[in-house]
Amino acid sequence: MKNDIIIKVKDVTKKFPMGGGEFTALKEINLDVHTQDFLGFVGPSGSGKTTLLNLIGALDTPSDGSIRVLDKEIETLKHREASQFRKTTIGFIFQTFNLLPVYTVFENIEFPLLLSGMHLKERQDAVHESLEWVGLLDKKDSRPAQLSGGESQRVAVARAMVKKPKIVLADEPTANLDAENSHNILKMMAKLNDSLGTTFLFSTHDQKVIDYLKRKITLMDGQIVNDEITTPKSQGE
Amino acid sequence: MKVLFKLALRNILGAGLRTWLNVGALSFGFVIVIWMQGLYEGMLQQMITASVDADYGGGQYWHEAYDPYDPLSLEDAHAKPSAQLQQEINNGQATPILLVSGSVFPHGRAQPAVLRGIDPAQDIINIPASSLRGNEIIPVMIGQRMARDSNLNIGDTVTIRWRDVDGTFDATDIEIVHIMETIVPGLDFGQLWLPIEDLRKMIGTPGESTFIITRKHYTKPNINTPGFEFRDLDFLLADERAIYQSKQIGGSIMYIILLSMGLLAIFDTQVLAIFRRRKEIGTLMALGMNRFQVVSLFTIEGSLHGLLALLVGSIWGIPLMAYTSIIGITFPPEMIEGFGMALGATMYTSYAPSVYGITLMILMLSVIVVSFLPARRISKMKATDAIRGKTQ
Repeated sequence: MKNDIIIKVKDVTKKFPMGGGEFTALKEINLDVHTQDFLGFVGPSGSGKTTLLNLIGALDTPSDGSIRVLDKEIETLKHREASQFRKTTIGFIFQTFNLLPVYTVFENIEFPLLLSGMHLKERQDAVHESLEWVGLLDKKDSRPAQLSGGESQRVAVARAMVKKPKIVLADEPTANLDAENSHNILKMMAKLNDSLGTTFLFSTHDQKVIDYLKRKITLMDGQIVNDEITTPKSQGE
Repeated sequence: MKVLFKLALRNILGAGLRTWLNVGALSFGFVIVIWMQGLYEGMLQQMITASVDADYGGGQYWHEAYDPYDPLSLEDAHAKPSAQLQQEINNGQATPILLVSGSVFPHGRAQPAVLRGIDPAQDIINIPASSLRGNEIIPVMIGQRMARDSNLNIGDTVTIRWRDVDGTFDATDIEIVHIMETIVPGLDFGQLWLPIEDLRKMIGTPGESTFIITRKHYTKPNINTPGFEFRDLDFLLADERAIYQSKQIGGSIMYIILLSMGLLAIFDTQVLAIFRRRKEIGTLMALGMNRFQVVSLFTIEGSLHGLLALLVGSIWGIPLMAYTSIIGITFPPEMIEGFGMALGATMYTSYAPSVYGITLMILMLSVIVVSFLPARRISKMKATDAIRGKTQ
């Protein structure tokens, strides 16, 4: 339900070994994320945005503190449980699209559904629906190498959304896109956020993305320095 | 697992030329390994068939002093067979052979030879003994190799010398009446075949034999054979089997080289794939595959190269194997003689299903192992690094 807490980050610290010592990427982060949030972690490189997304997505574990996503305590998940959690709950969108090069557009989008063991007919319907969302039905048989950057990222969005996850984590999704494609992608995600109730978390320092956010969390040197509700500037366009 | 197979198949077919190059190299190794095994198996079969056909029959009764590796043993290795053994000869179940050490003097040169007495009327072994008939001069048959080495031809008269039973040297002229073609070198090199009765008279041992060859598929009856011991085919073929095994060991070096070529291609592809596809591996983990599944996916991909190689190998290998099995392969005679085995100029491959089942299993297991070894590295990868294509 809207405004329910879907993610609770409590006193999270993340350290990485570096040389002989340690580098602290996140320091005692506390954060609540609500259902259907469209929020972004904003800040310069090295501020801890991607690290925080990775922790929420169970790709990594905190050095200290706890992260609760829906009913899962991320830090206690075993490797297989974390995989299962990502498979069912999280959609990922990457800066470099990370499409599987030997698969067609259709197969790339179908991939998460194959992993979850969905039947062929349901799978095909779901992939078609996703292709319609991102307007790429005519490209379904193309390979990633035949797509433009904007089209590739739309495929990545469709792949993230096809299983209708509760949460989508997008790491610098517009970094490799031009202005027009960035707006198209962001508009599409904002629409999916509204229509499907999916919670979107971005890591970005791109003003175009920031303009679409409903909530902006600024990170600096691994700490939250600002958390504000914003009015998306582009919503009315 | 079904999904992993599906994905792996998509991946390797999607990799296009790289996949087919690997499959080609591996299928070459597979087919040649199996084909060479077939060739060795065929050689063994040919050796056994030829030796049984022309020499061993269904087993032999050896004089107890007879040692085929000691020519000096021939002096004492002859005796009359027992009445029961003689009955076997009379019943057409066996034929006697008498061996005597001697010399032949072709064109004035002395050359050691074994005088081999055989009954011209025998039909126990496939030797053209019937050509040893009706001349004033003792008729002798030699093999083609002996004819070549001693420069003797049909119609040539030549002196032979031997020691009789009392140790006295004696000599006579003989006439070459036939040059036989045999693929068993032991019946050819240094052998002079003459009628057994003539030889018995020459050395003064009437009715005596060195060994007695029985008819093929002979079952030894419960008879007394004092002075003679029965040697079955297992015993007689031990040398052929030992030669075959030594050749097989030599051949296995070739298998290892060929197989290594194919396996190296797979190993190399796997190592390269894991390095080149780090980002993909990270993406697979982010999309919900666990490390075991990713390792399995890469192992299956590598293994599928093996399966495809089997398919491709079957397409070009089965006709090749069938051709060499039915039509055979003809080798130059010098090459055949170099083998030192009873082999014809044309060799036929022979395939025993159980042997090839095991060989294929070993080949496939090797492919799985070399696919798995590099893939293990994936389990040490951190998804967060892999997604960004970072090396560990």
